[in-house]
Amino acid sequence: MVKKKYEKPVIKKLQMGFMNKFGRGYLSHIRQAIDGVSIDKLVEMYGSPQFVFSEKRLRQNYRRLYNSFSNRYPNVQFGWSYKTNYLNAICAILHKEGEVAEVVSEFEYEKARNLGVPGHKIIFNGPFKTISSLKRALEEGAIINIDHFEEIQDIERLAQSLNKKVKVGIRINMDTGIVPQWSRFGFNLESGQALDAVKRIAYGKRLVLNGLHCHIGTFILEPKAYSLEIEKMVNFAYQIEDDFGFKIEYLDIGGGFPSKNRLKGIYLPPEVIIPSGEDFAEAICDTLLRCLRPNDFPKLILETGRAIVDEAGYLITTVHAIKRMPDGLRAYVVDAGVNLLFTSFWYKFNIEIDREVQGIPEPSIIYGPLCMNIDVVEESINLPPLPRGTRLIISPVGAYNVTQWMQFINYRPAVSLITIEGKIELIREPETLDDILGKEKLPQKLQLNLED
Amino acid sequence: MERLCIGVSGINAVDNPGPGIGVIRSLKEDKDLKIETIGLAYDAMEPGIYMDWLVDKSFVLPYPSSSEEEYIRRLIYLKDRVGLDMIIPTLDAEMPLYIKAASLLEAKGIKTFLPTKEQFDFRGKTKLSQVAEKIGLKMPKTKTIASYQDLMKAIEEIGLPVMVKGVFYKAYRAYTYQEAVGYYRQIVAEWGYPVVVQEVVTGEEMNVIGVGDGLGNDLGLVGIKKLWITSLGKIWTGVTVKNDVLLKAAKKFVQKFNWKGAFELECIVSADDVYLIEINPRFPAWVYFATGVGVNLPAFMVKTAFGLPLKSSRDYSAGKLYVRYTYDIVTDMSVFQNIITKGER
Amino acid sequence: MERLKQLAISEEGFIFDPVTGNSFTTNGTGLFILEALKEGREEKEIVDLLTEKYGTDKENVSRDLMDFMEQLRSYRLI
Repeated sequence: MVKKKYEKPVIKKLQMGFMNKFGRGYLSHIRQAIDGVSIDKLVEMYGSPQFVFSEKRLRQNYRRLYNSFSNRYPNVQFGWSYKTNYLNAICAILHKEGEVAEVVSEFEYEKARNLGVPGHKIIFNGPFKTISSLKRALEEGAIINIDHFEEIQDIERLAQSLNKKVKVGIRINMDTGIVPQWSRFGFNLESGQALDAVKRIAYGKRLVLNGLHCHIGTFILEPKAYSLEIEKMVNFAYQIEDDFGFKIEYLDIGGGFPSKNRLKGIYLPPEVIIPSGEDFAEAICDTLLRCLRPNDFPKLILETGRAIVDEAGYLITTVHAIKRMPDGLRAYVVDAGVNLLFTSFWYKFNIEIDREVQGIPEPSIIYGPLCMNIDVVEESINLPPLPRGTRLIISPVGAYNVTQWMQFINYRPAVSLITIEGKIELIREPETLDDILGKEKLPQKLQLNLED
Repeated sequence: MERLCIGVSGINAVDNPGPGIGVIRSLKEDKDLKIETIGLAYDAMEPGIYMDWLVDKSFVLPYPSSSEEEYIRRLIYLKDRVGLDMIIPTLDAEMPLYIKAASLLEAKGIKTFLPTKEQFDFRGKTKLSQVAEKIGLKMPKTKTIASYQDLMKAIEEIGLPVMVKGVFYKAYRAYTYQEAVGYYRQIVAEWGYPVVVQEVVTGEEMNVIGVGDGLGNDLGLVGIKKLWITSLGKIWTGVTVKNDVLLKAAKKFVQKFNWKGAFELECIVSADDVYLIEINPRFPAWVYFATGVGVNLPAFMVKTAFGLPLKSSRDYSAGKLYVRYTYDIVTDMSVFQNIITKGER
Repeated sequence: MERLKQLAISEEGFIFDPVTGNSFTTNGTGLFILEALKEGREEKEIVDLLTEKYGTDKENVSRDLMDFMEQLRSYRLI
């Protein structure tokens, strides 16, 4: 006789307002492999936790987005937003696809150069550019977008010492109906500050203004906001061309496209509310073609980070302990927490399990390994009773996590890449004690010899 | 006439009632239609599940916030199970999902009668002023905010008291800054960003219900005034009115935007000024009021969706009274038990 | 086990407690345990019965039973 399959016994009290057999929150699904490579194999090779990137997905995402723009507008360039993910392997893939580098600090600039990106293929943005980095960028012919009046001065001085006229862009900010308005970066358009910056540049006579840069916000769900951005940028560009004689050669519209991640505080699922790349491309390119003068096709630069890399990244983590909280809620302790998942503060991730588990799903909470109260990976998810050792595959986590992760309490884990050919490549080794101690200095008088 | 199987959501006929029961009652009362009504519920305690003289069968659906795939899978199960021919969603939080899935559902043999995404977005709380202007109505001062700082600024500009509203649900009147902060926090916790802050305009609260055919024509319009509202702001008694400005604005709204589907214009009439407060892209909870005065909009909608003829006179007279009342049902646990364990009745 | 005997338990795993008016749902294994408890069986005995019935390992079953009993206690059903 075939024995009935065992299920962990569960009893649930019915609560008013929560009587939906499908439960609040979404159900988890099973994922046994990423791009055909089994989770077991990945963990066996490089341990848990582990970030895993899919080269296939990364290239697909880029190509899909690039095509939706280049099919509609003749002069398109993507700049890879380093801060979103500056692992060399990820940057290299996107550079090979044709992206230039978009950096926002001296560190990122040096990282791009070190990887082999020539200066003229780097866009240098941000509110804090050191004099030494500006000097190098000017010498190497990088595209520089100025953030404030002090920077105009800095670049003018450097141009004088280098004895050449240099091309620069300015970053502007504006009202596109998006709240909160990102007014802390660049020069405000509506107040006339942006025009003042142009006047100041023209008056200084050392710089040639040839580009406009803007970035209206992040995780924008409204393609029309970009239409408005474009319209204002183009009008401003022509005002500059007509009144000051500069030729605006590029319009850099920044990033901000969302990935299919679920923001906390937004009720509907991402499939329903997140517009496709096509929707954004259509809004942007249609407006461009409508507003531009005949035969004028300035370069359209996009600095899309999240929409390209987020869905290419996964985090494998393992259930280490199971608890029952005093309020009856089931809790799991896993080996990856907010130290690795910075974006968990605003995302509700897709969490998949690596095996079939019998039993009634119940609302569960997932805690990270840190000895810290805030270390919560997921506050409420319906999960069947998971045994110790179950792997959870968390996604999308490709954007911002491997740049904003912390070496806090634990080492940072391995990052692997599944190549198009199906090979598993280690692209960042797990940290060891030496990585962290290497920079520390212990004064002679504090040397310990407690064992004597 | 063939029997049609129609799913209706919002059968939560509680103190803040969903429109579902009104829609279902309207469908049942139309003499030309033979309709099997399917209640689509999100909780085992929705009263409609227990109102078996109106709701023939009931099913629990996953929340619209779960995942599109899971939600659609459940609807297709219903198609197979009971032969669902059409769905009339009546809850705001469901609308984006149904609008997006409309053609997919149509292909599966489930009709809907809904606005396009563009139309839906246009009447959103954050863009309403553009609509108001186009249909000749005024708008109270409105700010869309996403931070305490914005809230402070908005209150400074608008002046107290203000209405604090979520994008889908909830609207509170705040008399002090502290109160506004409290409501803001409450709305964000439940419904997220952004939040709308609006000037309070005083006057008579008048609404219009209607259905547009998507080609610029309306299937019928009924204007009402709320005479008495509950502490939650829901109509308890009302009267039909024929306010020219209001009805013309509703006609213009259907014409200018080729609106398809049900809608409700919420307005405040102050002397000669008519302020647009909100446009709901669905039937309101008092939809049966219109049916009761001879304009059975849910039935008109179903007939139009299935290409059936409408009666030519779809007018109503002013001065008809609406009185809502409560009712008690006593039943045993078996229905509850079924809906809990099987998700259906 | 007096409390348990008062419960109305359906075959589908729906439980109504007439004393408190609370309702609960449980799964097949849970039903099996509740019936065994009503019959007055010891926990050790129940572990054996479950192991026998499902052919799973004892350690697992006793850990699960412990958790289940904890849930029953938190609902004040035992």
